[in-house]
Amino acid sequence: MTLQTTFEAPETRILAIPSDQAAIQARDLDFYYGGKQALFGITVGFKRRAVTALIGPSGCGKSTLLRTLNRMYSLYPGQKAEGQVLLEGEDVLARGADLAALRARVGMVFQKPTPFPMSIHDNVAYGVRLYEKLSKADMAGRVEESLRRAALWDEVKDKLKDSGLGLSGGQQQRLCVARAIAVKPEVLLLDEPASALDPISTAKLEETIRELKSDYTVVIVTHNMGQAARLSEHTGFMYLGHMVEFGETDQVFTAPSTQRARDYITGRFG
Amino acid sequence: MSARSPSLGRRAAQGAFLVFCWAATGVALMALAAILWSLFRQGIAGLNLDVFTKSTPAPGSQGGLLNAILGSLMMCAVAMAGATTVGVLAGTWLSEFAKQSLYGKVVRFVNDVLLSAPSILVGLFIYELLVRPAGGFSGFAGSAALALLAIPVIVRTTEDVLRLQPTALREASIALGAPVWRTILTVIWKSAQGGMLTGALLAFARISGETAPLLFTALNNQFLSLDLTKPTANLPVVIFQFALSAYDDWRRLAWAGAMLIAVAVLAVTIIARLATREPKRS
Repeated sequence: MTLQTTFEAPETRILAIPSDQAAIQARDLDFYYGGKQALFGITVGFKRRAVTALIGPSGCGKSTLLRTLNRMYSLYPGQKAEGQVLLEGEDVLARGADLAALRARVGMVFQKPTPFPMSIHDNVAYGVRLYEKLSKADMAGRVEESLRRAALWDEVKDKLKDSGLGLSGGQQQRLCVARAIAVKPEVLLLDEPASALDPISTAKLEETIRELKSDYTVVIVTHNMGQAARLSEHTGFMYLGHMVEFGETDQVFTAPSTQRARDYITGRFG
Repeated sequence: MSARSPSLGRRAAQGAFLVFCWAATGVALMALAAILWSLFRQGIAGLNLDVFTKSTPAPGSQGGLLNAILGSLMMCAVAMAGATTVGVLAGTWLSEFAKQSLYGKVVRFVNDVLLSAPSILVGLFIYELLVRPAGGFSGFAGSAALALLAIPVIVRTTEDVLRLQPTALREASIALGAPVWRTILTVIWKSAQGGMLTGALLAFARISGETAPLLFTALNNQFLSLDLTKPTANLPVVIFQFALSAYDDWRRLAWAGAMLIAVAVLAVTIIARLATREPKRS
């Protein structure tokens, strides 16, 4: 193997998404875990009502980028971001940004299913109750709508009062999607949502994601390149904290224009 | 790969290890069974309706344990109410906020020291702090001493079970825009409630049989009294005094009282287990 382990002055090719088409975009974004820099000058836009996939080897900064977009990192002192993240033109990294409001607009689903220890209904209603006072009937409607969109309604409609912990892993993950979209966010961040699921559950979840893009801007981190190719309109390839290549998914997968992306996609490393 | 049975030596080692484990378990269970056997045999013999309806007798007269049972219940209830509040909040602070900060580490260390403090020291401490200044023994002083013994147990178990909750669960709630306090109250505590309850029960089990700290604080009371500002009868001290006495009926009452404590702890444990059973997967 002649693989380089150091990485300087990378060759990059980034397709610019026009600002008026991007729901959320990063500009010159650097990120630090304590003294260790994890993202280097990321500038990238995520197109409104489309799915964008982020791929790259483990530890390349995909999840870090995702966690910057909803400022999840702010929970942890010592982690900091520099640069700009613009949500419909507003800088969410700005001092004094309303994090609760930001997170209502930018939802997130995690790698492992994280149902709350409460009923299926209450799981979906949890986020909604933070922002809206709905009547019982309206809430029931919102819960049903969200579960339908997450393609889970038919499986749980008769047991909404049962604990969310009683569902299978795949159902739990779709419950988490339903919970995230019940708040009616604009952007949905999915951090390897299918990595803990079996193939059938994965197929169902992918179907759900495909449905979601008519209303939501979806950013999905995935290790499954087939999944990225199937789902996304744009794909970003990251390596060691840099956005190396970003473009139309077809182009990135069939004719990557950087050597690094070419090597990764053809399976020479990663 | 062909299926091969393990070698004779490996099977012998496996067998020896199993026998050893069984034997060790057997010894431990036998000791427990012996204690329970003598407790129930003598306890049931001492049990009758008088135990629950009459107060502790003077030598030679008939009596029961009513005043001690009520006193113990009241003092334990007050102690657990205070200790659970303080313990759960302190444990939550350690797990969710203090984490590895220096202040957190100091508090955690002090709590561990308290955890193994001899209960008689706690009794003396409360005696100096509450009994002497107040000019007399009282049920509240007894509750305070018991609470002081229960708090470190609850702090420790609360912190431990909260730290076992996955980070992703916290982040999932935060990611919906929930504030940290709400995440802790509605998601993390709920998720950890079984373990937190177990901690409270451990603490209850520990204090329900404590005698030494009560000798210096609640002392005892021959008569039925619901006033916790006065000396208060309680099962452990009554058991202590009656078991060492020369009167057969007093010693019978001591056995009955000991059995009542054991049964109460067992009952509370079983009820709490049933109440917090994990939902079954469908």
